[in-house]
Amino acid sequence: MIPHAPILAVFLPLLAAFVLPLVSLLERRYKIPLAKEWVSAIFVIAEVMVVFSVFPDAKSSVVAYQLGGWAPPLGIVLAIDALSALAALIIVTVGALVFIYSFIYMRRESGVEHYYALLFLLLGGCVGVVFTGDIFNFYVFFEIMSIASYALVAFRRHLWGIEAAIKYLIVGSLGTSFILLGIVFLYGRFGTLTMANIMELMGQVAARDLVIPLTCFLVGIGIKVAMVPFHFWLPDAYQGAPSPVSAFFSGATATVGVYAIARIVYVLFGAASVGSLLVVLGLITMVVGALMALVQRDLKRLLAYSGISQMGYVLVGLGLGTALGIQGALFHIFNNAVYKTLLFMLVGAVIWRVGTSRMDELGGLWKNMPITAFMFLLGSLAIAGIPPLNGFASKWMIYLAGIEYGGWGYVVTAIALIVSALTLAYFLKALSSVFLGQRPSHLANVKEPPAAMLLPAMVLAVLCVVFGVLPQLGVDLVEPAQRAISDLNGYIVGVMGG
Amino acid sequence: MADSVVFGPGFWGPIIATASMLLIAGAGYLLILASRRISPRRPTSEKLTTYACGEDVSPSQTRPDAEFFFSPIRRVFRPFYRYIGAKHTGELSLYVWWVLIGALVLVVLTAHGLGVL
Repeated sequence: MIPHAPILAVFLPLLAAFVLPLVSLLERRYKIPLAKEWVSAIFVIAEVMVVFSVFPDAKSSVVAYQLGGWAPPLGIVLAIDALSALAALIIVTVGALVFIYSFIYMRRESGVEHYYALLFLLLGGCVGVVFTGDIFNFYVFFEIMSIASYALVAFRRHLWGIEAAIKYLIVGSLGTSFILLGIVFLYGRFGTLTMANIMELMGQVAARDLVIPLTCFLVGIGIKVAMVPFHFWLPDAYQGAPSPVSAFFSGATATVGVYAIARIVYVLFGAASVGSLLVVLGLITMVVGALMALVQRDLKRLLAYSGISQMGYVLVGLGLGTALGIQGALFHIFNNAVYKTLLFMLVGAVIWRVGTSRMDELGGLWKNMPITAFMFLLGSLAIAGIPPLNGFASKWMIYLAGIEYGGWGYVVTAIALIVSALTLAYFLKALSSVFLGQRPSHLANVKEPPAAMLLPAMVLAVLCVVFGVLPQLGVDLVEPAQRAISDLNGYIVGVMGG
Repeated sequence: MADSVVFGPGFWGPIIATASMLLIAGAGYLLILASRRISPRRPTSEKLTTYACGEDVSPSQTRPDAEFFFSPIRRVFRPFYRYIGAKHTGELSLYVWWVLIGALVLVVLTAHGLGVL
């Protein structure tokens, strides 16, 4: 591990967010071409290296980093176990690819230095949420992440983007207020903010005293992961945001939400008994998302609803609570990050070339954009759970977990299978509407986007195939995280000491 | 309960399954090529023209409506679209109501889950 890697992983993106406006000033004054892009690239590469260096250590034990040398519970501690490391790995990988994609996609926009600064703030907030071992810092980083998100949705200052950002701001603030309220209840009860310390004391409290704080967290995080009925903000926000931002939201921010559910419900509260609640909410989320996606006219809204639906699978896997179910859920969130980021990048490529994401105005683009179209086909098949792509492997694990559970687990598997068929249906509609059929005459001269925009998408498309053909790689990747969720004592000892 | 799932090795391991799928897809493509050889395409201008009721139809008019692309599925789930789909109006006040109603329902369900109710 790189020395001080845990704090560097949080500090580097925040530093970048403040350095970039200065770099932009120098770029304008001294006419240095692409200075902010180069500086962004350097910071992103450094961030990826730092987070990847933590992963091997965190896989086997909890990496506890005490800020200022103050031991918990007095001091603030960054606590990185395999679950945090997996989430951070997904976040920085998606983040790095989105940055590369943005270098071309955003060059037509003005005020790009603010865009990169906000994206770094978002990245820093995400990494902070998954690395912190302190519940109040969890809230602070959650707010940093959320505020950066609101600003990014409104970045283009289009009417619909601003409207979506205001809706997201109000609903998101309601969510973070619920989280803060939950923290207040916990602090009032336990007198500490260190998660491991709260876990130690949790056994001394009657279950009825945990109902309100746990509900507050579930609502707050439920809004972030767009669990039905807290999902309404998401399609507007994804549609209003620039495509790279939507890609980041669907890949990285969604991962943070799932991490938060696993960390708070299973690890902090040790409340595996609410698993059946998560399964029910997951099933509703899965079905509502799929049925709404089926009737969308706009590609980005379709992808947004499909993201809601996929989150349902993750909630179901987590809620089943078995080793297989949790592994399936974690593998699915990894896969979801891969193909949803890919699909948003490809839709962004279409918008970049054509100027619209309305399916009724598109068609026949396979001839013009064969690489984009082929990758969209791959992503669509992956998200629908068609073998031999990665979505199949994680969905298969969730199906098996349902069957293994027995009883109503069979019903869960049956619904999940039907929703997979619906997913295939609406992605075939998207593929047919955008890339097949007759091409409107005004689209005759449309070309592929530049290679630098296609490259990150290609990386993700390759991952779809690799983790589909070699799914054991994915299982091996998520297995330590699943063990970390189950090993509450290991987390407490790792943070608080023997 | 299983600790994990093992994908392959074995006859239905992922690599064998992938190779089989590619093989079948390749065989299917060869069949298509063979069928074209046996029965070659003979396009005429009339065959290539899209028309309806004796009138030529332009490409933009031949497109299916994206919202009604799967109208049979819409009909099957009509109650959903009438009562739940219709609530996705974009109105902020409605979103906030749903959050509050959802929070109240979650309190009850969480209490039940924790064995309090």
